[in-house]
Amino acid sequence: MTVASTIVNDVRTQADTLVDVRGASKTFVRKGARTNALDGVDLSVRRGEFVSLLGPSGCGKSTLLRLVGGLLEFDAGIVLVDGQPPAASRRQKQFALVPQSPALLPWLTVRQNVGFLTKLNRGAEGHRTPDEKEVQALLAAVGLDQFGGAFPHELSGGMQQRVSLVRAFALGAPILLMDEPFAALDEITRAQMRYLLLELWERTGGTVLFVTHSIPEAIIVSDRVVVMAARPGRISAIEDIHLDRPRRDDMEDSAQFHGHVSRLRTLLRDSHDAEVQR
Amino acid sequence: MTDTAVSTSASTRPSRVETVSGPQSPGGGGRALAMALAPVFGVVGFLLLWQLLVAALHIPRYQLPAPWDIVRHLASDPGYYWTNGRRTAWEAFLGFGLALVIGVAGGALMAHSRFVDRALQPLAVLIQVTPIIAYAPAIVIWTGFGLKPVLILASLVCVVPFLLNSVTGLRAVDPSVLELARSVDASRREVFWRLRVPSALPYLFAAARISVGLALIGAVLGEFFSGVSKGLGYSVKFAQSRNISLQLWGSVFVLALIGSLATVAIGALERLLLRWHPSQHP
Ligand SMILES: Nc1ncnc2c1ncn2[C@@H]1O[C@H](COP(=O)(O)OP(=O)(O)OP(=O)(O)O)[C@@H](O)[C@H]1O
Ligand SMILES: [Mg+2]
Repeated sequence: MTVASTIVNDVRTQADTLVDVRGASKTFVRKGARTNALDGVDLSVRRGEFVSLLGPSGCGKSTLLRLVGGLLEFDAGIVLVDGQPPAASRRQKQFALVPQSPALLPWLTVRQNVGFLTKLNRGAEGHRTPDEKEVQALLAAVGLDQFGGAFPHELSGGMQQRVSLVRAFALGAPILLMDEPFAALDEITRAQMRYLLLELWERTGGTVLFVTHSIPEAIIVSDRVVVMAARPGRISAIEDIHLDRPRRDDMEDSAQFHGHVSRLRTLLRDSHDAEVQR
Repeated sequence: MTDTAVSTSASTRPSRVETVSGPQSPGGGGRALAMALAPVFGVVGFLLLWQLLVAALHIPRYQLPAPWDIVRHLASDPGYYWTNGRRTAWEAFLGFGLALVIGVAGGALMAHSRFVDRALQPLAVLIQVTPIIAYAPAIVIWTGFGLKPVLILASLVCVVPFLLNSVTGLRAVDPSVLELARSVDASRREVFWRLRVPSALPYLFAAARISVGLALIGAVLGEFFSGVSKGLGYSVKFAQSRNISLQLWGSVFVLALIGSLATVAIGALERLLLRWHPSQHP
């Protein structure tokens, strides 16, 4: 490879990089005890990429997500989102957050809940937000078009979580940050939610950072799976997923899928063992 | 023991099912009506018992009049009770409104700042635990006679429930919802009006329900001490000094009616505004 082509290559990767985390560290001090939640984390996410953060409890997945979203200050390192500090991107409504609980407002109907975040801090976004028809189409995509006028208490947990997903996509934000959105759901509902999520994502596009505890879930949704280890929180491995898109549930039976599963399982076990030996 | 438990649950289950299917099934209509009238049964039963006991024990009317005598007395002079009832209801209403405004404003400050919260909590407790009847005369001496001390007393007794409940309510927003609001950089004002105030509403209604009775206590007490010559409190005081038990009880009945009507009004407003709240769909 010539020097020139390396440079071109490098420039192209940089232009493609939307989220760039370099040497990010975060220590929490609580009641005198220090927790090294993140220690020198490097991660870059390309525009339009779907990246999962996978790892044991307490390895700093949520912390990393919050750093990227400008919801938490970090102690050291650099975090850039589209070339600027995350706080600036947050002010431009570049992030759509999906928390673990649906976090719907009980006094608003489904339709009002979906539009709620769009209405806050109106006009700050530099991007186009989906109009009413598009939002209705998103609701229809998750099978909730008949429930626009329903209140959250009239919905099941899985339906509420679907509303929460649509609310995030209705922001039209270029970056979606999802923190174990399906953790509270039963296994069957959860398996369906993966494909609903992918369907919404394929409709609207965007770059996704997705936190999960589930290896199959991480594989089926992601382009890359970032494996993290705890104490201190760090990235221990990154696995590229080579399944075709759009993903279908029969891919879960493929040899390729099973290969990913066993590799990720080994990677997780290794990082856990390393932690125990410390 | 086990047997009883089993038979109880077995006998309650079918009735539950019927209540759910109420409006459709023909048998459910009667049950629904009975459920709607249930609150009346207690009161009517109590008044009947009273009526019967007074007759059976031959209690003289000047000692304890029977309910029917009291109702007839009310009917004999409706203008008097209308005028004085309106007066006391108005005082209680103003006191209630003042307490609502002051309580929610103070609650907003307390919810906003830990320091203000810590500073005001003991004061709220002091107001709550000091018997109002003890400092009522002192307030009358300080503010002078007339409407002013009545309003101060009426609002003082119900300001604390509004204050404490609004602090709790304004803070009752789900932390994930607050983080969502932060993720789109919502302003403090948006968070307050769109998240905190609606979250506080159920708490404010709870305070309102308590405060209806308290505001009436405050208004009556104010009339006792402030030398006014209008209102049901004054009517009670006057009747006591003359030993007119019918007028005493008449005033009490009207006060009870005012309190009940206010409670019903608050309940209706609650059903309208809190349709989304678990308390409204048992
Ligand atoms: N606000 C905080 N104050 C103190 N310590 C914190 C705080 N937030 C997180 N931590 C600590 O930082 C570490 C990483 O937390 P984080 O929530 O990022 O983990 P996680 O990977 O998301 O775990 P889980 O899978 O259980 O959600 C944990 O040890 C946690 O106790
Ligand atoms: Mg977490």
